[in-house]
Amino acid sequence: MLSFLRKKFAGSGSHFLAFLLCALILPSAAVVLVAVTGMVSQEQAMEGAVSSYVQDLAESLSYHLSSDSDVWTFSMLSDFTRFPFFSWGPSIPGWVALIGQDGRVIISSPGSMNKIVSIWRNDLPIGQAVRVEDRQGAQYTLAVYPVKRPSGGYVVAAVSWTQLLGGLVSIVRIWPLLIVAMALLSFFAIRLLWSRVIAPLRNLASEIDSMTLGKDVPEKLPEGSIQEIYSVHNALQRYAQAAVERDNLRNRYVRDVVQAQEQERMDMAREIHDGALQDVTALLQQIHMIADDENKTTRLKRSEIIAKAVVKELRAFCDELAPPWMDLGVNEAITELAERLSQAYDIVIMTDYDEGTDDAEIENDKILSLLRIIQEAVSNAVRHGYATEVNIELRREDDMLVLDISDNGKGFDSSNINHETLRVEGHRGLASMTERMSLMGGTLRITSKVGEGTEIKASLKV
Amino acid sequence: MTVRILLADDHPLTRSGIAEFVRREESFELVAEAEDGAEAWEKIKELRPDVALLDIRMPGYDGVTVAQKVKNEGMNTAIVMLTSYDAQQYVIASLRAGARGFVLKTVSPKELTTAINTVAKGGLYLDPEVASVMGEQDFIPEQLSVREREVLLLAAKGLSSKEVAKHLFISERTVQTHLASIYDKLGSRNKTEALLLALKYGVVTLEELLEDD
Repeated sequence: MLSFLRKKFAGSGSHFLAFLLCALILPSAAVVLVAVTGMVSQEQAMEGAVSSYVQDLAESLSYHLSSDSDVWTFSMLSDFTRFPFFSWGPSIPGWVALIGQDGRVIISSPGSMNKIVSIWRNDLPIGQAVRVEDRQGAQYTLAVYPVKRPSGGYVVAAVSWTQLLGGLVSIVRIWPLLIVAMALLSFFAIRLLWSRVIAPLRNLASEIDSMTLGKDVPEKLPEGSIQEIYSVHNALQRYAQAAVERDNLRNRYVRDVVQAQEQERMDMAREIHDGALQDVTALLQQIHMIADDENKTTRLKRSEIIAKAVVKELRAFCDELAPPWMDLGVNEAITELAERLSQAYDIVIMTDYDEGTDDAEIENDKILSLLRIIQEAVSNAVRHGYATEVNIELRREDDMLVLDISDNGKGFDSSNINHETLRVEGHRGLASMTERMSLMGGTLRITSKVGEGTEIKASLKV
Repeated sequence: MTVRILLADDHPLTRSGIAEFVRREESFELVAEAEDGAEAWEKIKELRPDVALLDIRMPGYDGVTVAQKVKNEGMNTAIVMLTSYDAQQYVIASLRAGARGFVLKTVSPKELTTAINTVAKGGLYLDPEVASVMGEQDFIPEQLSVREREVLLLAAKGLSSKEVAKHLFISERTVQTHLASIYDKLGSRNKTEALLLALKYGVVTLEELLEDD
């Protein structure tokens, strides 16, 4: 049994389940064993008791009746009848009869003849107690003892087990039933344990084993398992679901980033193609014409104007791609951007810096993300909020650099704003700013109310 | 009298182009060329040129750092920043570092000559393209009040409105009012432009800007 269990659970490594089964099966088996032993020894004890009772009875009677004479004296027979079998009322259990050599019944206790005849067998040994059963299955023990007289004769004594031992006999009858019931109950308990605990646990284990986090969600657990496994399974389901959602979100984000990158490349290509490339082409044409033109000065002047335009365009383009003035420090970088944005959108932009904002050595990528946030915020404030004034404040809060951008635009309801809604509603810029800040271990908070403008607070560890 | 000139730029094509401009002018002598900040600093120390034309972005020391070193050593070499970046913050940073000229690389030879001659004589030259309004020659600014000059100078030194307020024992609100009035009088749109215009019109001098607190 144990080796079978061990084999069954080997490989999966779940010895716990094998032990759980053993813990249930072993005590049950022990109980059955004890019960069977008890039953057998009780039976033996009862048989011994009944046998010696019947033997005593037969032997003592045969002793009383033994004599050298063959004549049955009255006193002898009256002695016999003085045995309590013959009186009514409470009497000692059993039946006795005196049978002559020729098989005649000389004397018997009341009711003895019918009983003895009903259980009589012809192969009964002399001087031994024999256990017999009548047609109804009731147990009897009877003994035949010889009477020592010249003419011979036998004393027959019998007793019914129920009569002598009472309830004890029926208990012995019930024993096997109890054992069967016990075995059945154990079987059902094990079955229940298997179907409600062990099988679901094994399923759960193999499910976890084969699950790819972020891809699979465990199926709904079939009915009929215990509450604890349900809870574990539910937790697993929630966890897997969250992993899948997180993966989806990340995939969408990566897709967005890739799309944005491609879009940006296309924009850049178009800008260079439509701008600088056209200008340089025009410049080349001017240079070609200089060679065979009498009015060289005019052509050269025109070339210079075109070349200057190319430079200006490319410079603006580079500033847009990556502001080179970041290396002057965070305050200067923000001031430069603010002044450029203020001119580009024709709005008032105030900047204010607290003491110490310029002290820290801040990496360029952090400055750049702050600049991008300002760019995005000002652009949103003007385009969506119709703001005419933007305040930019930079301050130190311990080891945090806090950027506060507020505008006087029309505002919006920011109570249920999050990364996903931003993304879905097309504010990809702010969404990716939020993402960017969290990548750098910072936070971005947007608060706005209709009619009260918008405030964006970005915090970065420096 | 010839003006002795050092030219530092890490981009060889641009450097040779500018060098040609300089050599063509008879009153100029190109004493050395350098291709990074460290080399420029070494040669300035060695040759003591009258004017150093420095690119802002160079490997090693950038132009602003070299200018700062020249200023700290108290040398007579006048610095002209020569750059392809038109950010006004570079102008301010250069001026704070002691540069007397700021010229874009798209400059014409005539303008470059003017710039070199101006700084060699101790003047200040800023490329008109850096601040578009600065090209308007006939603008006559309204006189700034004493307080306004103080506010402008402190702001130019990089103090925030809050700090300016603390420094002058006035409220931040008053500082903002002063600034608005300064912009108005100089025809500028922001602090940086106000400072550049004030320098251009002689409302404040470079020496005042460079004074320590």
